[in-house]
Amino acid sequence: MSRLSLMIDLERCIGCKSCEVACKQEHGLGSGEFRNKVVWLGDMTSPALDFLTVTCQHCERPACLRACPVNPKAIIKNPDTGVVSVIEDRCTGCGECVIACPYGAMGYDPVGHHSVKCDLCADRRAQDKIPACASVCPGYAISFGERSDHLARAEKEGRTRRDHDHYLMGPATVYLDRLNGGNAKDKRSDAVEGRTRPALMDTARAASALAAEAPAYPYGSPREERTADTVIPGGCNICFNCCSTEFHFAGNKLVRITGNDTDPILKGKVCPKSQLTVQLYNNERRLTQPLKRIGARGEGRFEPISWIQALDEIAAKMTAVRDKWGSETLGIFSGTRTGTLTNRGFIRIFGQMWGTPNIESTEPFCSAGKNVAYELTQGSVACANSYTPTDLGSARLFVYFGDNQAETRPVYFGLLNDCRIKNKAKTIVVDPRLTVTATKADRWLPIRTGTDLALALAMAHHILANELHDKAFCETWVEGWEAWRDYIVAKHYTPDWAAPIVGIPADDIRRLAEEIAEADGCVIFASRGVNQHTNSAQTNRALMFLAAITGNWGRKGGGFFNMSSAVPISAAAPPERRAKITRPMVRRSPTGWTEAMGKGKPYPMKALIACNNPMSNWPGQDAAREAVKGLDLFVHIEMFENETSAYADYVLPVATGIEKGDIGRANDDRRVVWIDKMIEPPGEAKSDDWIWIELGKRFGFDDVLKDKYKDPAVFWDEMCIDNDHLRGITQKRLHSVPYRWVRFPVASEDAPEIETLYMEGTSAVGHPGKRFPTPSGKLEFFTPAMEAKFRALGLSALPEFYSEREHLIDLPYIEMDEGDDGHGIVSPFYPTPTSASPARIRQPGTDSPGIALRARGFDMELVTGRPPAPHFHSWTHYFWQAQEMWPDLYVQLHPKRAASLNIKDGEKVKVETAHGAIEAIAWLTAGIRETAAFVPIGWGEKQPFHPWRSVNFLTDKTQRDPISDQTNLKSLLCRISQL
Amino acid sequence: MTRPDLSNRVLIASIAAAAAILVVYFALARPVLPEAWRTPGSPQLYFTGVAGAALLLVSMVFAVVKRTGGGGAAPAWFVAHVVCATVGLVLVVVHSGGHLRRPPALMFLALLGLVTLGVWARLQGARRMAATFATKQRSFQPATGDRRQELAGVIAKKKVLLTEIDPAAREGTFSLTPGHWIKHPRAALRYAKLVREENRLMGVRASVGLEQALWRPLHMALGYLFVLGIVIHVITVTFFAGYVAGGGPIGWWHLAAW
Repeated sequence: MSRLSLMIDLERCIGCKSCEVACKQEHGLGSGEFRNKVVWLGDMTSPALDFLTVTCQHCERPACLRACPVNPKAIIKNPDTGVVSVIEDRCTGCGECVIACPYGAMGYDPVGHHSVKCDLCADRRAQDKIPACASVCPGYAISFGERSDHLARAEKEGRTRRDHDHYLMGPATVYLDRLNGGNAKDKRSDAVEGRTRPALMDTARAASALAAEAPAYPYGSPREERTADTVIPGGCNICFNCCSTEFHFAGNKLVRITGNDTDPILKGKVCPKSQLTVQLYNNERRLTQPLKRIGARGEGRFEPISWIQALDEIAAKMTAVRDKWGSETLGIFSGTRTGTLTNRGFIRIFGQMWGTPNIESTEPFCSAGKNVAYELTQGSVACANSYTPTDLGSARLFVYFGDNQAETRPVYFGLLNDCRIKNKAKTIVVDPRLTVTATKADRWLPIRTGTDLALALAMAHHILANELHDKAFCETWVEGWEAWRDYIVAKHYTPDWAAPIVGIPADDIRRLAEEIAEADGCVIFASRGVNQHTNSAQTNRALMFLAAITGNWGRKGGGFFNMSSAVPISAAAPPERRAKITRPMVRRSPTGWTEAMGKGKPYPMKALIACNNPMSNWPGQDAAREAVKGLDLFVHIEMFENETSAYADYVLPVATGIEKGDIGRANDDRRVVWIDKMIEPPGEAKSDDWIWIELGKRFGFDDVLKDKYKDPAVFWDEMCIDNDHLRGITQKRLHSVPYRWVRFPVASEDAPEIETLYMEGTSAVGHPGKRFPTPSGKLEFFTPAMEAKFRALGLSALPEFYSEREHLIDLPYIEMDEGDDGHGIVSPFYPTPTSASPARIRQPGTDSPGIALRARGFDMELVTGRPPAPHFHSWTHYFWQAQEMWPDLYVQLHPKRAASLNIKDGEKVKVETAHGAIEAIAWLTAGIRETAAFVPIGWGEKQPFHPWRSVNFLTDKTQRDPISDQTNLKSLLCRISQL
Repeated sequence: MTRPDLSNRVLIASIAAAAAILVVYFALARPVLPEAWRTPGSPQLYFTGVAGAALLLVSMVFAVVKRTGGGGAAPAWFVAHVVCATVGLVLVVVHSGGHLRRPPALMFLALLGLVTLGVWARLQGARRMAATFATKQRSFQPATGDRRQELAGVIAKKKVLLTEIDPAAREGTFSLTPGHWIKHPRAALRYAKLVREENRLMGVRASVGLEQALWRPLHMALGYLFVLGIVIHVITVTFFAGYVAGGGPIGWWHLAAW
């Protein structure tokens, strides 16, 4: 047999660390114990970031083996395969092999006191499986096989193989160099020399927090106790990638989560989060019984009570609130953790029967702006394309605006990046940071945050002024494009106008516009970087218009894509069982409810049921925490005791994922992923569904919220799918495929899935004869009806440029006519009556808000956003391995800026805005605008391993998009100082 | 097979117990014990010392067994090494009778160093060894030629020597054992020098922190010093009993009273 080895492609690796998670799962490794590790390597002098997967090199002359003083050796080399492995029963733990390995690839078990190392998953190979790391790698960066085959493949693909045999040891692992031609050209192909790893990674201090406790089962357990006898397919319920997964059980114990090899799209690739949920289901910190507050709000003192007592008391208090203040004074806030069936099913029905319009998820913090824009332009909020090699994968150009897809949906990005490399396509990233996505791009354009609207307008101006647009498509399929063309020409939204605003040279703007126009298939991605602004809806629309005028809509390999596609669940109470609602929703954004809670305006909100963590994730934390103190009733439904629990009157322990059964979250490309209930929740925890049904019984809702719907499969088939989009996605169909997903729309059980919506010659589902599901059947830029809606708010349907009020330069900004305590008007953009404030665009002047803030020393642009792939909001902070990878809250700063502030890499600093202050660890990187600072979301001060105050102490609840009520979370002035 | 291991908790408990026994012995028990239990040369403390030294030598047996492959599983011997060393330590300290200002007390210093290094290695060094993973990223830079030429020369010399030491062995997976040292001492010495040179060129010890790089060589050196001390002590009390007694009575077994 030829030598076996891994081949690691530095161009494909996205640093997500999924391989690390898979390795620890496979081998039951605890904290501090590694067989592989992905090292992040940044650069202090030029924008660059690369990822190096370190694992055993299976050398021809293994230094570890020669250094081993034990006789017979505790390290052996298989003469046939060349695989070098440790015989742990012989190892005395002296560590000589660790010192001897020049690649730093010998691991050590600090608890069991012996060496550990990669053996290319000997146990898996014995079962004809490939090593765990290669099986899950979302980036297709790790391949396993015979070394000679790797070399032949590299040669065939014209890839350069790295010669890293400094010591004539004959390393078998093959590393493929990065491709040339991107950013930091001079260093890109090396990826190691001159690079530094962020000081906040792998610190002894952070490791000690984990070392204090043994990791929960199955980690650290003998292999025989971790060997599965049952495997059940399902999916991950954390993020929008909705990875199809397999759950492995030994008896009734969950021992492992892997990707699902039968999935025709994802092919077993899976991100670290999905695998890490093993640490969610086997977690000693889970809430296990209902709690009732006995101390003051915020103090966090509780006593355990029974479910009956908890629900009876909650129901009694809810009734009292309704009797005194009216049914609309109940607010229900749900989100990520709550689950889609609960969000869009049980809570909606409960709210309708109770009679409150104040039901909201995290959408106004994440995606409300793009949903409004999609609805207006396309007539549907669903993304039209699919992540397949023949659709999105076939694009010639990928342009990402404020979308760090590599870290937010790593499996999808890995798929597209693979297609990019194979097809020699191009990627361009527009983002204030050199995100992981940007590291794979041909070009990174570091835009001033909050100015994407100016960039989109300027590119459109260039395209239309030079007649680079797709005339046939515009004339046939776009309503109102001429009006928009005339408007942007009249406003002189030229690249030269935009250049000083966006901080990108005019020539680069023109070049990007021409590339989009010329590409035979361009996908424009946008995400939270565009959404989380006060110009959210208009920026999304302008980018949609850009895609449309270049013919990139309703075609394969072209489109506008802003995650994700909400599943159109139709669950609703029968009209006759709905309570009368006399007052509109206070505001679309829950952060707009705080005046109602604290001051009783525009009308009181006296009870709140939070199925999420609002005391961490609502913008403007100081105001939010103060406001909830005014509630008569605050119920928190959660898995872990967190920041919100401390303020609650009742904390109800809840199940999640495979403990309750659900569909995955709203998926990017319309896949509905079904997750069966597989295990019981911990202790007395119950599913959300159970809680809402049982609570509903106390109000006589059980004729609609029936007991049988505690089985989510029954609820799905009977209540959720009675519409043209979902009717075909029955339990029968979902369970007929081994990967448990079906892509909507499918109007019947035997209807085929549609890879790409709105192709020419087709009709939109439910809209016969119309290509697009809009009133006109075309994409709509401007219509009189649309203009009337905008006028109601004091705006125009033709996107006029404005940005945020807090900037280093003074730009037009939005100003609301009324605060959240005002009644406002009923928003014309939502089907449910919802209050909104009219607004106007203020031109910069001597009273621009930025001037006063800059005078107070707020001289940097604060950007918030998602941390690296292993984290997702607060719940991954309870997973020990996610904490091992990314322990501390950080603030990314440019080294030049840091030098001027005398701040060193890894130092604890203070970050302040006009709205609050937090502390974080400085991470210096040249991959960020010199004037910007980035702080990630998700940390909280009650978290177990590395508690930090939430970034939302820095954000401002009042800065919102008047159209969508989306909060600006991406552009605030801040100052940073040493502690 | 379950690999025998001494957990950190057991190790800490053992060391703490040993320390507690010694404190209790010297602070409380010793003042009220008969004179014989306070005199290192008394039969009681003489045999205590013999037993302690024997146990401490078991620790050295571990070093031999580990390298020769005789005597069973090395991890089991490692556990014996720690347990015997801990008990032996208590016995030899008791054997001293509290006379810590005389030359044999130097051995206590060596013992103290051995215990300190051993405990550090288990409790702290193990964490550092684990944390060493993926810290040598410079080795993944594209290779250059100079060092490789030097290494090639060293490897070529090793291969030549290996034909003398162990013709069947392959240089890439070979390391010296006590058998090679006994059979081919000069060649083994030259080979060891080449190994040292290769390690220097590779920067092996420099690739980790000072404590991690040196704790084990220091631990071994102190171990050899301690054994040497025992040998000297045995010879002096056996053959130079008069010198050891310093004009006083000789209460222990000896062969000569020089």
